[in-house]
Amino acid sequence: MEALLEATLRLAAPLLLAALGELVIERAGLIDIGIEGTMLTGAFAGFVVAVASGSALAGVAAAAVAGTTVGALFAAFAVYGRVDQIVVGTAVNLLALGATGAGSRALYGGAPPAAPTLGALASGPLAELPWLGALLFAQTPFVCAGWLLALAVGVALARTRPGLRLRAVGDSARAADAEGVPVPRVRAAAVLIGSSLAGVAGAALSLAQSDSFTEGMTAGRGFIALAIVIFGRWSALGVLLASLFFGCATALQFRLQARGVGIPYPVFLMFPYLVTLAVLALATGRARAPADLGRAYAREAS
Amino acid sequence: MQEISKSFVPAVPVLEGVSLEVAEGEVLALLGENGAGKSTLMNVLAGLVTPDAGGLELAGERVDLGRYGPRGARDHGVGMVHQHSALVPAFTVAENLCFGDSAAGPWFRPGAELRAAEALSRRFELEVPVRRRVEELSPGQRQRAEILRALGRGARLLILDEPTAVLTPGEANALFAALRRLRGAGRAVIFISHKLAEVEQVADRVTILRRGRVVANLSAGELDARELGRLMLGRDLPPLERRAAPPGPPRLALRGLSVPGVTERSRLCGLDLEVLGGEIVGVVGIDGNGQRELEEALAGVRRPSGGEVLVAGRRVALSPRALRRAGLAHLSGDRERAGLVRGMSLAENFILKGSWDDRRFFRRGQIDRRAAALAASRAAARFGISPSDPDGDIASLSGGNAQKLAVARELDGDPPVLVAVNPTRGLDVGSARFVHEQLLARRAAGGAVLLISVELDEVLALADRVVALVRGELRSVPPGADRAAIGAILLGEGGA
Amino acid sequence: MNEALLALLSGSLGSVAGWTATLRESAPLLVTGLAVALAFRGGTWNIGAEGQLLAGALCATVVATRLLVEAPALLLVPAVALAGAFGGALFGALAGVLRAARGVSEVISTILLNFVASSLVALAIHGPLQEAARAYPKSDPFPSAALLPSFGRVHAGLLVALLLAVLLHALLFRTPFGFRLRAVGLAPTAARFAGISPERIAVTTLALSGALAGLAGAFEVAGVTGQLYEGLSAGTGYTAIAVALLARLQPLWVIPSALFFGALEAGAAAMQREAGVPAVVTQVVQGVVILLAALVSIRRRPGARLGARARSEAG
Repeated sequence: MEALLEATLRLAAPLLLAALGELVIERAGLIDIGIEGTMLTGAFAGFVVAVASGSALAGVAAAAVAGTTVGALFAAFAVYGRVDQIVVGTAVNLLALGATGAGSRALYGGAPPAAPTLGALASGPLAELPWLGALLFAQTPFVCAGWLLALAVGVALARTRPGLRLRAVGDSARAADAEGVPVPRVRAAAVLIGSSLAGVAGAALSLAQSDSFTEGMTAGRGFIALAIVIFGRWSALGVLLASLFFGCATALQFRLQARGVGIPYPVFLMFPYLVTLAVLALATGRARAPADLGRAYAREAS
Repeated sequence: MQEISKSFVPAVPVLEGVSLEVAEGEVLALLGENGAGKSTLMNVLAGLVTPDAGGLELAGERVDLGRYGPRGARDHGVGMVHQHSALVPAFTVAENLCFGDSAAGPWFRPGAELRAAEALSRRFELEVPVRRRVEELSPGQRQRAEILRALGRGARLLILDEPTAVLTPGEANALFAALRRLRGAGRAVIFISHKLAEVEQVADRVTILRRGRVVANLSAGELDARELGRLMLGRDLPPLERRAAPPGPPRLALRGLSVPGVTERSRLCGLDLEVLGGEIVGVVGIDGNGQRELEEALAGVRRPSGGEVLVAGRRVALSPRALRRAGLAHLSGDRERAGLVRGMSLAENFILKGSWDDRRFFRRGQIDRRAAALAASRAAARFGISPSDPDGDIASLSGGNAQKLAVARELDGDPPVLVAVNPTRGLDVGSARFVHEQLLARRAAGGAVLLISVELDEVLALADRVVALVRGELRSVPPGADRAAIGAILLGEGGA
Repeated sequence: MNEALLALLSGSLGSVAGWTATLRESAPLLVTGLAVALAFRGGTWNIGAEGQLLAGALCATVVATRLLVEAPALLLVPAVALAGAFGGALFGALAGVLRAARGVSEVISTILLNFVASSLVALAIHGPLQEAARAYPKSDPFPSAALLPSFGRVHAGLLVALLLAVLLHALLFRTPFGFRLRAVGLAPTAARFAGISPERIAVTTLALSGALAGLAGAFEVAGVTGQLYEGLSAGTGYTAIAVALLARLQPLWVIPSALFFGALEAGAAAMQREAGVPAVVTQVVQGVVILLAALVSIRRRPGARLGARARSEAG
């Protein structure tokens, strides 16, 4: 049981981080389907820097920076260029796939080495604590970071003035503009912050969950993060719970697979996606999305 | 404000060399017809629009309009209350009041903000439920909240854009009282309107705009209703001709029509109404009392929960196609609800509603483009739609011309029943007059017209019979009732 | 750099072999590009052409290797094509129904279905559809009667695709159905008041779009590879989005657009062989093309109001 819990947290961490990033972006009114590509870029950049520098931490930092860079691209086109957000997101995914794939081949010729990874957060007495130890301290720092960030994002959105402004921009860009809130700037900032989180989520994949980079290793996790935001009703707490749910589902998938219940392997592969679809289809009650979600805002509309 | 000029489209100036002045402790009314440029001028003042030319002086200090913006407006003490609420619907009033405050700290303490909001409300004697979310409030409350927000920011100059459009007569009076209090407290108020009657109640001075230019500056003592009207319109409009016509058989009947509503107040309960051929029945009411629901039910896009609709004595299924086949046409002042598709051409919009069964344009699984273009050109000529290119995108049509297209399309085939909902919303005088004439023409030809409108004057001028829609129920209005009496009925007092 | 470009050009357009490769790569891009263009025009964001293609390939394989193995070519070829269209239509319709009935954004559902489809293919070729020898995860080779006639590796499907482009153009701009579809894509509320049901159009559009993508999948297995295996489609469905956007969603323009991207793919393979530049770089080009094409036509697209649909769209 404890092992299941531990696996749940571990598997949920990248999803949680990416979903928190997407949450920030969506509460500001933008829908970023390029989160998948952002995550992938973070995974790649983190991996490269970690291998080159020998420090996993440096890799994480690089992943955050890489995420922010992709975010800057998205913001440039979707916020300032006012290009349709779905289109920009699709382009970002393609660019990331191509660039990371090409980069990986160019640098490692198809055989990437093992990277230094981030081990457990703390060993020794802290890790020995009965429940807390296994759940928090014996895990990689990404798990702990996820929880802290969930708390931070939740508090920031609900209780700080910048958070209030961000929500205003997402709910009614017109009202925010009329109050003097710089709508494009706030949206761009949200994209940058959210994308850096997604970059770190990518690092959680290449520097913790595995120790290597493979092309397309995000395998749709970014899209699952999108679903998590919807399922979590656009609240930090909801996102946290939804991430745990998906982490649990994936953990169960691996257990059943390992037990060899006689069900062929691809069925398990489908599992998280089918669960997501089912969840989205059955979610009762219309979710309260930020009212201006997905709409570009232009002031000159008299 | 001095010599403000603004053009949105080159060679089509919205404002030309407009100058305006207002002093502390003064209420200035900015009058003009739809499209005269009033909103644009005020948007310049509020920092939402940058003019092509001109200058602005606030409290004796010149302002750099290039860097002005809404923030600049706020810093200089200009606050605006918009026609369409510019509050965040999902936020509470208290949250709306404080999110724009850049001076306060980064932490948002709901308790403290709530108390501050309540204090503000008490100080200016504007009653607003600060705890509730804006989307739950009535239009009157939203307006007061927006005024409160502006005042809370330290606005010394308050701009109100068509404030009474969404208010009951009682709420409007309360607003005027509040404005008088503000005037007494040394604030300056600019008040946009196109209704002469209100102006007399509260304005100290009046500036009149017509087609983007100032045509008059008058003070309170010089106000004369007819003179004002003439200045606004630039000409004397002859009153509409309404010939006495013998009413025909009942063409449209609503029996016990119940329709679920967006809010509790707008739910329709058991409506009974009859419209005879050759008559215009007007339905007045404040927006939000069920007009949307009634319109949507009669357009066939909202399913009623009970009752029936009869056209020419026969019960009709409430889908857009069935209604059209039965001879009921739907005209709306809102482009989307009028079924006009931006991005499609004039001709395509003209034939849009008939794609299933209109054999003139849709035959053997094909669209007859030539026939459509021909029909559209003819309609454009007959109704004066310009530009009249049948393949032109309707996005380039002005509001008035787009509405003419809608009229042309709906009246095509002389439908026995016409449901017109706010048909002149946002139109300039000329276009509005055109629409009114078309409605009267339908009446003269024996058609039945149901006119649902929030503009009392429009209904009084056109309708043979008037009913009031109050909280989802129809109340009859005695013939010859004046505006005050109708206002009382709309508030729920009197009438049956 | 120059060497790479040279290899790219000669590998795609500089020789008969190059042209053959280009045409071969363009065929699926043409059909899926049409699928995506159709969907976008109808106001539905079909990001799932990839999965619909695979679903179509799967159904086509079932028919060719299990159901009608003995049938003559006259029956088998169209049956295979129909099966492909059916499979893709199923996946598309599923996303459409989810949107119409439950308000699930088709952006997410089609993407998720992509992964489901590829897993289903893996399931099939590791199991019931696996070749008789059971040595590798791939299906039996198609009976020769099921294979599309072809010259080199350019199959007749290309001709069908060209025909489809013309048909789609006619459908969109000359038929009442296409008329209604475009209306919904441009202004769903106005269309509703005009008597058109945006929900019904969404389902139909996604089903049709899926059918086209599925057909492309059938063409791939029946015309190019001759059997089903993993990794059949290397992102064709996503490239199709670039193809459609570059063509400004005009069916006839999808033809040159597909040719362009097909040449890119063909040339990239040559570029990798001769200049050592990884072929995957084409994805980067696709991304750049999308952004530039979209930037040029900002005003064109009806905005995708994903969140707004979750709230009440009264009536």
